[in-house]
Amino acid sequence: MSPLLRFMTSRTWLVALAALLVLVAINWYLQPNLMTPRVVRSNLSVFLPVALVAIGQTYVILAGDIDLSVGAIVSLVNVIVVSLIASFGGDVPGILGAMAIGVGVGIACGLVNGFLVAVLRLQSIVSTFATGIVFGALALLVMPTAGGSVPSVYWRSYGGTLGGVPVIYWIYGVSLLMVAFIAARPFFKHLAAVGGHRAASFQTGLPTTRIRIGAYALCGLFSAFAALCLTGETASGDPLLGQALALSSILAVVVGGTALAGGRGSAFGSILGAIVVGTISNVVFFARPPFEYQTLIEGAITLAALAGGVLVARGRRTQ
Amino acid sequence: MAPLLDVAGVAKRFGAVTALSDGALRVGTGEIHALLGANGSGKSTLCKIIAGAVARDAGVLQLHGADAVLKHPRDAERLGVGLFYQELSLVPQLTVADNIFLGHERTAPLGFLSARRKRADVTALISRFAPVLGDGFSPDVPVARLAADQRQIVEILKVLSRKPKLIIFDEATAALDRRQVAIFFDVLRELRAEGVSSIFISHRMDEIFAVSDRITVMRNGVTVASFATADTDQDAVVHAMVGDAPLRERIEHPRPANAAPARITLTSGTSRRLHGVSLSVGAGEILGLGGLQGQGQSVLLQGLFGAAPFTNGTIAIDGKPVPVRSPAAAVRHGVAYVSGDRGRDAALQGRSIFENIANATLVREKRRVFWPRQLKPRFEEALKQLNTKYASLDAPIGSLSGGNQQKVFIARWLATGAKVLLLDDPAKGVDLGAKADFFSLARGLAAEGAGIVFYASDDAELLSVCDRILVFNSGRITAELTGSTLTSFHLTKAAYGEAA
Ligand SMILES: Nc1ncnc2c1ncn2[C@@H]1O[C@H](COP(=O)(O)OP(=O)(O)OP(=O)(O)O)[C@@H](O)[C@H]1O
Ligand SMILES: [Mg+2]
Repeated sequence: MSPLLRFMTSRTWLVALAALLVLVAINWYLQPNLMTPRVVRSNLSVFLPVALVAIGQTYVILAGDIDLSVGAIVSLVNVIVVSLIASFGGDVPGILGAMAIGVGVGIACGLVNGFLVAVLRLQSIVSTFATGIVFGALALLVMPTAGGSVPSVYWRSYGGTLGGVPVIYWIYGVSLLMVAFIAARPFFKHLAAVGGHRAASFQTGLPTTRIRIGAYALCGLFSAFAALCLTGETASGDPLLGQALALSSILAVVVGGTALAGGRGSAFGSILGAIVVGTISNVVFFARPPFEYQTLIEGAITLAALAGGVLVARGRRTQ
Repeated sequence: MAPLLDVAGVAKRFGAVTALSDGALRVGTGEIHALLGANGSGKSTLCKIIAGAVARDAGVLQLHGADAVLKHPRDAERLGVGLFYQELSLVPQLTVADNIFLGHERTAPLGFLSARRKRADVTALISRFAPVLGDGFSPDVPVARLAADQRQIVEILKVLSRKPKLIIFDEATAALDRRQVAIFFDVLRELRAEGVSSIFISHRMDEIFAVSDRITVMRNGVTVASFATADTDQDAVVHAMVGDAPLRERIEHPRPANAAPARITLTSGTSRRLHGVSLSVGAGEILGLGGLQGQGQSVLLQGLFGAAPFTNGTIAIDGKPVPVRSPAAAVRHGVAYVSGDRGRDAALQGRSIFENIANATLVREKRRVFWPRQLKPRFEEALKQLNTKYASLDAPIGSLSGGNQQKVFIARWLATGAKVLLLDDPAKGVDLGAKADFFSLARGLAAEGAGIVFYASDDAELLSVCDRILVFNSGRITAELTGSTLTSFHLTKAAYGEAA
């Protein structure tokens, strides 16, 4: 196998990168002001929540499971944080405290999922679908209808800059650092091993149960981050906020080159995947096809992006 | 002094199946201890219990003279036990190096992965086997892309890298050829000199007698005998293995007439690892493929079966040229393929024995709809011919012992009634008795007019069953052995080329 091919196939996110370059070129053609700092920033801030959830989802999928409850976790964290900020009085320490509790809630939801899937050995697709309903119902209990608001210091900071750099870029930066940190730990190899061949991992002496729970906890953590960002974006609480996130995060993960069957992939790819998926919507929006064809075209392009990854993966197997 | 390992009265049931009823094993420090028994006699189960991967129902297990509590493979590893798993414990998606160090990743300060240390350590480990690794082996290649023998070597290195005090090799040589086995044995002997003990499981008698100090024999889940290798012989051991049931006599057969019409002919078959190979197999003939591991034998068989089609060359079946671009096409032309590499090529993991046999029949007979009740008696008959030990056709394939799984894959093709049978190390892990049954079955199929191409990593198998052997080297046929040259001497000499 040629070194070039080996380089490519060991970095499955390269397909997502290639797709992204093509899409950005088209988008730029359709929307000449695309590359102005303001538009770049607004696009990236729209993609950020999906990217964060997709990062968390990557670890779960890599370990051979799936998390359909991420959207509900995002909603739950959002309404809890909004309610807590209100009851803490809206000052900065209160806000930080509410955010910390929100992060704790996200991790706790992940631990519940992990317990059901790894300890009780329920099927992940079914049990996280069910916990998604439960988390969503809890969100409705906390806040029956959309409303409430966060103090302006919250959303102004989120939309503002720090040291001259927009805060959302800081969030991307920190996320990338976390992704790089996790990828450089033995834990990351263990995730891939458990997802690739669970029985072999157990026989090798890996604590497979703990590893899978860890993946869900990370997923809960990143979902909570996404909720905090969305809270800054919408400045209010909404118990249905995260509804579409489960599927779009999974889509981003797969477009980013992670195998849905587990065992192979990267969270970095998922960030690219989230940006690709978002850019596809932009392209379709700016191409202004007849309204009734929009969804169809969006679906077709998404399918093409997915197929690219699958074809490369297949080339890899027959090599 | 207490022995390193002392196991007694160990029992284990899986549902209705009793895998072990009275397992016992005593291994001293610095000893190579062979464990023998027919397929399904409980060897692997006993080993997994010692390695903490399976929990025992009853019995005593002492390591270093103290009762060992083994709730998880990690516990056994801490007590210095390492197990080479018969079905391998490798993750296909991970690279060779990542598999070897899985759970013991090489790290830099602060616990970050260190690519430099990984590379240095893996290179040192591999160097021992470097001369016999074959094409396409590198520490950075995913294990999924390796051949069966290469994967076995990775599993060996993985166990060795943990530096255990007691290593269990559960059929570690099953897919290895002579050269690879020789290096492996050297390693075993060096370990013994360092005071490390090994338990060595194999169905190859010559290996057992070549390397072991003691031999323990199991039969039907019970440990029945234990010998010092120096004080016993093959007959005594075989007798302990099979009890009073006599081994079936080898059926001598008349060599087929040379004028038999060709069943399958290949003209200058070429692919990435095969260079213009031509051969022809007559009806009633068993043609052997010999030579060192990975010289093109498996590639040739996969080419004939359409699993890895030739880039050049023509295949004719019964004199008619046929394009064989896929296994489905091959099967419809009456070609069957039995692989010893059941993990990768053959098994529908998690599915029942019935489904695992049926898939071949369905393709062969182009059936879309079928009634399980019609097929079951046929399958049961095929399994019985090989003495397969199974609870019911509905049991999952994974519940069978390694050798019994292999019998299922052989039965899969026996049930289709093929004209051309391609055997790719088919008897890997199959015990002596069943091997003899299988070979006489193959002989029977040949007598009924099938043409058989047979590759085995074990030379003894080739010599006992083939009418003619083509010896391969680097993707070319370098010698043809017939009649009086069908001997171990000639085969070895041809395999190593003129240099040996
Ligand atoms: N997980 C399981 N579930 C059900 N039955 C099992 C399981 N594992 C083993 N068995 C049964 O226990 C018996 C002993 O199997 P074991 O794998 O220990 O045999 P073995 O001596 O290693 O044979 P081989 O030489 O074929 O590898 C077999 O009859 C097998 O079907
Ligand atoms: Mg076994």
